[in-house]
Amino acid sequence: MARSDDAQKTLRLIAAYSEEILEAHLSRGNCLPDTEENQGLIERLKHHRLAWQIDEDEDPRLNKDLVKLLNHITESDRRRWANEQVDTLWRELTELFEQYRKARANVSLPDQDRLEGEIKEHLHLLIEDIRGATETFSAYLNSGFSYITDLELRIRQNEHAIDRAGRLTALFGSFNIQELADQAGSDPFLKRLLLKYLPATLEEGRRNLSYALNQLRVMLVRLREDQRLNRLVGGFETHYQNNPGYTPSIDHLDLEACPPPLNTVSPFQMNAIGDIYDPVDDEALIDLAASARIVDEMAPQESPTPDSVPSVDFDVDGEVVEEPEDPVAVVIDDLIRYLLDGDIGDRELCASEVLINSDLDIALPEWLATLSAELDALTGPDQAMIDIQYHHEQDPVYPDNHFIYDLILRQSHAG
Amino acid sequence: MPSNPLFEQTVTALMAGEVICEYRFPDCYTYLLKTEHRQRVADFLDQINRTLRTTSSRDTWVCAYQDLSAPEAKEAVRQQFREVANHLEAFVQFLRLVMNIETTDRPIAPGDHLKEGRMIDRVSNVPTLADKLRSLSEKKPFQNKRSDVAGRIRAVLDALVVKGYLVRFGTSGSVYQATGKWTWMYDVMTFIQTHEGIHAGTGDDEEEQLRLA
Repeated sequence: MARSDDAQKTLRLIAAYSEEILEAHLSRGNCLPDTEENQGLIERLKHHRLAWQIDEDEDPRLNKDLVKLLNHITESDRRRWANEQVDTLWRELTELFEQYRKARANVSLPDQDRLEGEIKEHLHLLIEDIRGATETFSAYLNSGFSYITDLELRIRQNEHAIDRAGRLTALFGSFNIQELADQAGSDPFLKRLLLKYLPATLEEGRRNLSYALNQLRVMLVRLREDQRLNRLVGGFETHYQNNPGYTPSIDHLDLEACPPPLNTVSPFQMNAIGDIYDPVDDEALIDLAASARIVDEMAPQESPTPDSVPSVDFDVDGEVVEEPEDPVAVVIDDLIRYLLDGDIGDRELCASEVLINSDLDIALPEWLATLSAELDALTGPDQAMIDIQYHHEQDPVYPDNHFIYDLILRQSHAG
Repeated sequence: MPSNPLFEQTVTALMAGEVICEYRFPDCYTYLLKTEHRQRVADFLDQINRTLRTTSSRDTWVCAYQDLSAPEAKEAVRQQFREVANHLEAFVQFLRLVMNIETTDRPIAPGDHLKEGRMIDRVSNVPTLADKLRSLSEKKPFQNKRSDVAGRIRAVLDALVVKGYLVRFGTSGSVYQATGKWTWMYDVMTFIQTHEGIHAGTGDDEEEQLRLA
């Protein structure tokens, strides 16, 4: 084991060449390009046993312990490119099984032990990466790409995710687990990994991916519709700016084949009245009528009342409450008094003219009916003092009926 | 046959020209989800020259004329169109205002929530949005004489509630929810766009062509 200062030097070396080491790990399959400028780095990595090279023609490779560390610290990045990573791991696993088969055929026990260890490690990594890859899609669905504000970019990102999910599904489908299990020999742990954990992880991954694909497609449809509507609104906005006062019209269209969006009905109110002719409904209608009366009686109480009223007095002794006078009644009273007491001689008064000059807002038939009723209500002697002449027409169909259209009033002694 | 309150409610709303969606008429919407109920409503409407239709989103129901050969039906359709056409500019302005307030590229969609407080806050702090709101408040059907931002926003939102484009959401009284009537409005706008040859929003066309190339 390296001494403490050796270990510190190693860590400093990794820090100093972090860029080159990461580049080799992420993009070059853990190989360092054997170039002039990398010679110093390669030598120092070899010195600290972090890189190795068997053949001079081959590029030096990073040590597996360093690769393990890099795998751990670049996990999120590997998840981004999970499909490539899973693919690589699967291919390496297949190759390891091939070597394992040969080692068993040659009865090379040390190689078998070493390869079993490597296979287990690869299987573990594979399971981890499959889980990581599918979890990434769940994160996409949860965010809905809302961190991207531009709709167009969001659509592209969505399409990209769908593409990746599709490729990953295809990759999972290409795995032939049974073939590997047949080569696994008799190691119960390896068998369990291959026949239990890996298929279960793959099945879970497939299920998650299938759901994610479906949701991503739904999201894509929605995003495209949002984009279409955004352009629709933008188009109208520009059109109105360029054509002030513009109003679309369909007046020139025949409408024989009406476009569906335009075909909407004009409001047609469906009203009905209570059936007063059906005895079955009597009870219900009586209840309704009763409640309507109660509501009517209660109506004045619904008017807002002050928050606090110190006291309310009713029927105060001597109090005079003046009621507003009916202007029609006032005019009729004046008219009758004038007819009874006035000095009008032989003159006669026409009821319709009185109405015209009175400023009363009342229809002529109502005026004549009210006046006639008031005259009928006079006492006998007073009635005898007023002579009433009815201007009327006979009903052409029912001769006994007469249409009154005016009253002529005069003092009876005058006539 | 015994009466069915949901059937009655659904048919009455459709005949009154209402757009049925899950946000404004949830009971009627649920009732219409069942094929048998839809058929019953369609059979009834069929007898009075009307039919049941969905908007392009397939989740919002409207009542349409079955036969448009009668002059009264044609005139009714023209009248409905004029109602939209006369107010379309104001609706476009409202959609853009909400997109600006929410800083989003997508116009309002059924189910979206509009928070009056947030709208007031944003419009009060951004003079250009205040100008847009003032311009909107001068146009029918949002016309109002309020001089303050809060009053104008309330008047606009209330007008949309009356027209059936929004419903009040929750108990606060200041959150509104968009109804399915917007999908019908977008369908009509799409028809006008195609029919009148109105170009889609500027800038995007070129980008789209580049992307497809």
